[in-house]
Amino acid sequence: MKMKLPLQHLCFFLMLAILVLLPFVNDSRTLMILLTQIFIFGILAMSYDILLGYTGIVSFGHAMFFGLGAYTTAVMLKQMEPTLSTFFLSIVVGMLLAGFISFLVGLLTLRLKSHFFAMLTLAFSGLFLVVAEKWRSVTYGNDGFTFRAPEIFRDRMTFYFFVLACLVVIFIALYRFVNSPTGRILIAVRENEQRTKSLGYNTLYYKVIASIVAGTVASLAGSLYAISLRFVNTSVMTMDITLDALLMTIIGGVGTLVGPLLGSAVIEYAQHALSGLARDYPIFERWIIFFGILYILAVIFFPKGIIGSLRMMFWKWRLKRKGINQSSVTLSQEKERFE
Amino acid sequence: MELLVNLVINGLATGMLIFLLAAGLTLIFGLMDVLNFAHGGLFVWGAYAGIFTYMFTESFLIGIVGAIVTGALLGLITEKLIITPVYGNHIQQILITLGLMLVLQEMIKVVFGPNGVAVKTPSYLAGSWEIGDVIIIKYRLFIIVVGFIIFGIFQYMLKKTKVGLVVRAGVQDKEMAQALGIHIKRVFLYVFMVGAALAALSGMLMAPYSGVIYAEMGMEYAILGFIVVVIGGMGSFSGSLLAAILVGLAGSFMAYYVPVLSLAVNMILMAIVLIFRPQGLFAMRKERST
Repeated sequence: MKMKLPLQHLCFFLMLAILVLLPFVNDSRTLMILLTQIFIFGILAMSYDILLGYTGIVSFGHAMFFGLGAYTTAVMLKQMEPTLSTFFLSIVVGMLLAGFISFLVGLLTLRLKSHFFAMLTLAFSGLFLVVAEKWRSVTYGNDGFTFRAPEIFRDRMTFYFFVLACLVVIFIALYRFVNSPTGRILIAVRENEQRTKSLGYNTLYYKVIASIVAGTVASLAGSLYAISLRFVNTSVMTMDITLDALLMTIIGGVGTLVGPLLGSAVIEYAQHALSGLARDYPIFERWIIFFGILYILAVIFFPKGIIGSLRMMFWKWRLKRKGINQSSVTLSQEKERFE
Repeated sequence: MELLVNLVINGLATGMLIFLLAAGLTLIFGLMDVLNFAHGGLFVWGAYAGIFTYMFTESFLIGIVGAIVTGALLGLITEKLIITPVYGNHIQQILITLGLMLVLQEMIKVVFGPNGVAVKTPSYLAGSWEIGDVIIIKYRLFIIVVGFIIFGIFQYMLKKTKVGLVVRAGVQDKEMAQALGIHIKRVFLYVFMVGAALAALSGMLMAPYSGVIYAEMGMEYAILGFIVVVIGGMGSFSGSLLAAILVGLAGSFMAYYVPVLSLAVNMILMAIVLIFRPQGLFAMRKERST
């Protein structure tokens, strides 16, 4: 792994340079919006992967944290002055709320089998969706409401750079997190929780930490999403958001940070393209079906995603070059990684 | 008095519908260790298929049969295509059944149209009886009776027949059951089909009760089903009945007395159970450590 690092860093800076320079080359509105959207969902998918890919727990309530962030920002910007400081305050409030709720949910269910967490997060996010629909005096229900974004974000390009900066900061922070001692223990929990426990680690504590980190980062993504639309309604709380995060993580590659970003790019672009097609072929209005089928097929046949498969090919290639026929060993190791 | 009786009947009727949904979930979980997130999809397919059969043939009974057959067929397809390839891998099972849930829900919109469908109660079940000053709505009583009959049949099957013995043995220790010569995979398939059929029946019975069916109702009721399974204890059949009645009654009383809390009451119930008795209120066996 050590040897690969410089190459990874090079790729990272190259990609960043392209993304920074891109608006000066082509600043078409559609492209800016699409890229901003990709970044925001990239943040969401990365936070999801902390749970699914690194800790090996399935949450079906990620939309609840996303929605929490979106509503906090929207409500605060509407009720108070739409200034930059309000915006930053709302991000902090949203993250604190999300952190608290993920702490609560995690504490209740992470002691038990993975099923319980999946189920309880699903139930909780269902509750949040209903609250968002019924608490009309604040959320305006399903109709939603528009609000004024801070002056500086009216410009698409400024907002693009702001979201890109957020993405880079979050990416580096999460990269540090998963490579920290805590992150290593999370991976150990994924690999074998019993053994980690018997080594003396309180696995519940680490799993709750993972759930809090994932929740707060998802809330940030929600805040950015609200600003990007300058409108919020109950759709930010629906299952579709969780499905998006799931799909991006699985298509891109679980257990990596680059995977979800790549997945976000693929899915967002596909949605963009499919909604274009829907004008001519009405069947594409139900694009969730295609994504659902794609997702089922990916889980069965392609469980490691794009990055995971590429990585496995790379390993095989390196082993072959060294003349060691260990591909079967690597394969079984890789297989265990996911299970 | 009248109020009390009505609230109890409401609660029991809702509870019975949730029970039919949760019974399949809990049996499938107990036996196969699969938490079927697509159960709500089977529920809503049962409702739509049943109601469209009912409107086409104008016979409620044939509609019910249609719902059950649809549920069992979908269960067969689901088990063969979706569950078998990822057997034994919990994370993949959870992920894949959720994917199926969304596909089923969207397929409803493609096949039957995206809008809700209004449903009329069949004439012989519409209306109500007056006993003294208590008014009892016939259809709700009908649901309660059907629920108890199905509970009775299943309890008898599970406790007294050879089939039930095999299923119970599978729940207790599937490797051992397999070692004793039982084709456990086939038992899985049948139990899955029966669970799916129960979910479909629940959806069909729900339709005239709520008066309208729509694609998203699957997810809503599936969440209630999950709550019941958690409260009752995963894998416990009679536990799911008691928990479903509890959830139904809590819902109907709260909706009348403290409407603000009616949304949260089930969540609070579940949270309390998870804190104090995480294996479920009526769970018999201990949660295995795996």
